[in-house]
Amino acid sequence: MKPILSTAPHVKTRRTTKHIMLDVLIALLPATVAGIVYFGLAAAVTVAVALASAFLTEFVWYLVQNKFHRAPKETLKKFFAQFDFTSLITGLLLALCLPANLSAWYMPALGAIFAVGAVKMLFGGTGRNIVNPAIAGRVFLFISFSAMTAYPAANFGAIATNDWENLVAGATQLGNLFAGKPVLSPVDLFLGTGVAGCIGETCKLALIVGGIYLCARGVIKWYLPAIYILVTGLFAVALEGFDFTAFLPSVLSGGLILGAIFMATDYVTTPKSKLGNLIYFAILGLLTAGLRKATQIEVVSFCILLMNFAVFLIDLAIKARPFGFRKPVKRKQDKENRA
Amino acid sequence: MKAKNGKLFFRGVHIPDAKEFSKESPILPLETNEAAIPLKQHIGAAAEATVSAGDYVRRGQLIGRAAGKISANVHASVAGTVTEVGERDDGRGGSCVHVVITREGAEEAFLPPLDHPDGAQIAQRIEDAGIVGMGGAGFPAHVKARPNAPVDTLILNGAECEPYLTCDDRLMREQTERIVRGAQYLAIALNATRVIVAIEKNKPEAISLFEKTEFETVKLKKQYPMGSEKHLIYCCTGRKIPLGKLPSDVGVAVQNVATAHAVCEAVELGKPLIERVVTVSGGGADAPKNLLCAVGTPLSRLAEAVGINENAAKFVAGGPMTGTALTGANGVVTKTTSGFLLLTEKETNSETPTPCINCGKCADVCPMRLMPMHTAFYTAAGEYELADRYGGVRSCIECGTCSYICPARRPLAQMIKTAKANLGRKA
Repeated sequence: MKPILSTAPHVKTRRTTKHIMLDVLIALLPATVAGIVYFGLAAAVTVAVALASAFLTEFVWYLVQNKFHRAPKETLKKFFAQFDFTSLITGLLLALCLPANLSAWYMPALGAIFAVGAVKMLFGGTGRNIVNPAIAGRVFLFISFSAMTAYPAANFGAIATNDWENLVAGATQLGNLFAGKPVLSPVDLFLGTGVAGCIGETCKLALIVGGIYLCARGVIKWYLPAIYILVTGLFAVALEGFDFTAFLPSVLSGGLILGAIFMATDYVTTPKSKLGNLIYFAILGLLTAGLRKATQIEVVSFCILLMNFAVFLIDLAIKARPFGFRKPVKRKQDKENRA
Repeated sequence: MKAKNGKLFFRGVHIPDAKEFSKESPILPLETNEAAIPLKQHIGAAAEATVSAGDYVRRGQLIGRAAGKISANVHASVAGTVTEVGERDDGRGGSCVHVVITREGAEEAFLPPLDHPDGAQIAQRIEDAGIVGMGGAGFPAHVKARPNAPVDTLILNGAECEPYLTCDDRLMREQTERIVRGAQYLAIALNATRVIVAIEKNKPEAISLFEKTEFETVKLKKQYPMGSEKHLIYCCTGRKIPLGKLPSDVGVAVQNVATAHAVCEAVELGKPLIERVVTVSGGGADAPKNLLCAVGTPLSRLAEAVGINENAAKFVAGGPMTGTALTGANGVVTKTTSGFLLLTEKETNSETPTPCINCGKCADVCPMRLMPMHTAFYTAAGEYELADRYGGVRSCIECGTCSYICPARRPLAQMIKTAKANLGRKA
């Protein structure tokens, strides 16, 4: 056998991109299960349609790109060798931020095709997309279909308000908060019982369990979503004239937790450096609270989309400061030279 | 003295150390009938041959004289007849002049032993004996023994943070006395008042042996790259070397424990650096061993001694993180060959690179706090100046941590080396 030749290092960690992406899928399972339990068949159909169309989009794209007609069996083998679960994550995340609406079953399919095809594959596939595909897919649907503005409530457990009509037809809990309508208790908000909203965002408990799993596996850093959530909550409090009762409702309602743990932390669309990430998540928090107050609708996905475009600017502004770095001392001579 | 804990640095990785293969096997001498001694085994200029084919040389006789300030003498490691002096493939992708000696007899021609030498005598002896840093880089030790700035602390590097390697560990356990005396000679030459022995915590036997000596012993966390000069100095003394400066600028000199052992032998026995301990290990070796080999021993001889099995897929000279891949069991043992590894395909985890997912793990683990992903991005585009501005190419210590951790299997360390080479060419 010919010996393997390469430059150092000659040993590498076992953990690859596939392992990381699989971990993200596992972390999304509790939220998916909670969504299906809360919203029933409609949620299951939405999730299945989104997953299938996301996968098929990437598959078809690969076939077209690689001239499948030559050797179908080999092409299939190669496809699965390079398939890294990212489009499944995109599909699942997209489904989790859609309302469970059986009559609009084609919506998740369109969104997933747009997300994977136009946002990810068109820019070069994994690692090359400029914005988060799932969020772009959601925003695409949001501005295309009116069905995106009506959220059914989770019909599970006690519904704390008798304003059922309003919950089904109205905006999310956040809308109720701004409109001065009765607000559910924080416990209901946390468990998602009786909350109107998207499939995945209602049960905060399931999302946080997934988030803890991701932190434990070293996929995301715990302080990044924490900064986002805290800054949003505190800025909302400040905007309400330092009314601290607004903290829990604004943190626990809408898609904030889902966005903070699973969407904003997407590797590809966050800055590269630690400092850059801290800045990114802090600005994200300010934007979310501010725009929520200004527009009175749920804006987490728009904020993340907006900040995705700013990533490149943040990256360029931050320079490495190596170990042993010392600020250059400005000497008199240098100044004279410049003058 | 009782060992104290070293400081921590907040980057680096934990690598499964795989030292159990050869940790408990004592150092065994390995005989060889032919030695092909390269004249360039160190950083700097190659030595000039002083013998020609047909000459009879004795063990320890000078066969290559140092050429220039940064260079080192080379001595015959076996007694016998010189059969060839000429260019040879070194198995590492290059070639240099080798002096090939066929062994006949065992006559020795060592230098005269020194009795109570002073600093200048010791430094001269280190130069005469051709001693180089034995940790892997091979920087001539006599240059370090005559620092430009005053040095108050000598650190003996026994960290051995590379996986698989156990040669320093075994040497510390078997030759403690000689290492201690070698360190004392080095301290005299440097005029250093403080000697620190730095050992990683995964070598408890060595730590307990050095606790019994009068030196300060520092227990280091098991973390790669703990043995890097800059990080070792920071963890032992808290001093940071400013970028572009040398350890002597902060009053510290670092020498490997194996170098200290060689210094002791050179001073007390007059023996030049003609042999070293090599760890022969890895999943492809039947019985991993620590072997005392003459410089110039063919690596195929080492492979024979441990037995290769059919799983061996990659041959590495040196440690797995910074060593060189070989084109097979070719090449010879040099002064800096700390290990000869026969790695299996499973151990190396070498797969095709996939696209960068921008996870930032390379920046998280970089001990120099650089941004390898920027470097790789700009290097691929040929923009080496930008690679340095955003990635910090010039400060890289080439430890390979970024390539180790990359989940997309991207050759980041290789990209940085490419950028470095191109920047150097431009300057």
